[in-house]
Amino acid sequence: MYLDDTRQIVTDTLMLGPRGDALTADSPLLGAIPELDSMAVVSLLGALEDRFGFVVDDDEISAGTFETLGSLAAFVAGKLA
Amino acid sequence: MNGAGAPAGAEPLFLPSPRGPLFALYYAPADGQACRRALLYVHPFGEEMNKSRRMAALGARRLAASGVAVLQLDLHGCGDSAGEFADARWDGWLDDLALGCAWLQERCGVAPGLWGLRLGALLALDYARSKPQPLPGLLLWQPVVSGASWLTQFLRLRSAGDMLRGDRAQGTQALRASLLDGEALEIGGYTLHPQLAAAIDSADASTMAPKGRVDWFEIDPPGRTPSPARERITAVWRAAGAHATLHAVTGPAFWASQEIAECPALLDATVARLEAAHG
Repeated sequence: MYLDDTRQIVTDTLMLGPRGDALTADSPLLGAIPELDSMAVVSLLGALEDRFGFVVDDDEISAGTFETLGSLAAFVAGKLA
Repeated sequence: MNGAGAPAGAEPLFLPSPRGPLFALYYAPADGQACRRALLYVHPFGEEMNKSRRMAALGARRLAASGVAVLQLDLHGCGDSAGEFADARWDGWLDDLALGCAWLQERCGVAPGLWGLRLGALLALDYARSKPQPLPGLLLWQPVVSGASWLTQFLRLRSAGDMLRGDRAQGTQALRASLLDGEALEIGGYTLHPQLAAAIDSADASTMAPKGRVDWFEIDPPGRTPSPARERITAVWRAAGAHATLHAVTGPAFWASQEIAECPALLDATVARLEAAHG
């Protein structure tokens, strides 16, 4: 549902270029994209908050949130539901 | 860190301060132009300071080329200045800005304005507010408007690091509580003192209406709708008598980007604005 928006934000934030366009819902993020370090996680959360206007509490997120593009998009969808 | 090789056109120097020498780079107006205006640059903090060094240097060079003298000062505990980050305090940084302004005034013979990026912009606003007279100009690049949000993001770095290592992550609320209890925290290689954290936590741009002219530049990625927060805050400032103008440019978030990034549109817009305002 929010897959395209999420992909765009991941691609912009991590500066993935064409690699970002190729991401599907099943594409692994954490551990698969070397750019995704702790600073990038923080930037990504900040960009999602800015874009969608929600606030993320720490206890809402875990490594599982960033497992795949699909899991991250599902998190966004859950926040906006 | 970067002290050994000063960027082209910059004169490295140390300003004495009661807490130890402060490293600075001075960019004189190019081609022997008389100094008509001067700006003290206030850097952002933590990793953002490192990421934005290039844009700061490019900006300083462009401003110097247009006749503006620029002093880039590493605040106490940051960059190549004396002290550890753990020793840094907000009030001490305000004192550092006063020293930088006094040096520029002495060197150039004109009262300097401030040019701040991110948390540096919030510090610049706090400094401007403390002066009885309006500063000759306040240039804000992507200012942090809420110190509390900034602190949350900074604390999140530590939570995210714990999460990525597979450790049980301490949430930012728990980290904030530790800070308020007086415990210093190490985050991303920076030791944050509770007093500094408390000062940042309470800094709020909407309550810091500057007295004089302020140019606020926001950098958005292409296609991004501008955030309403900046409109709201500048409206509050205008109601309080500030001459505040918002400028939006398109470009990367160079202070946080993965690779060192440049935003030429921001440099062009900044120089054009200063030239239009001062002739």
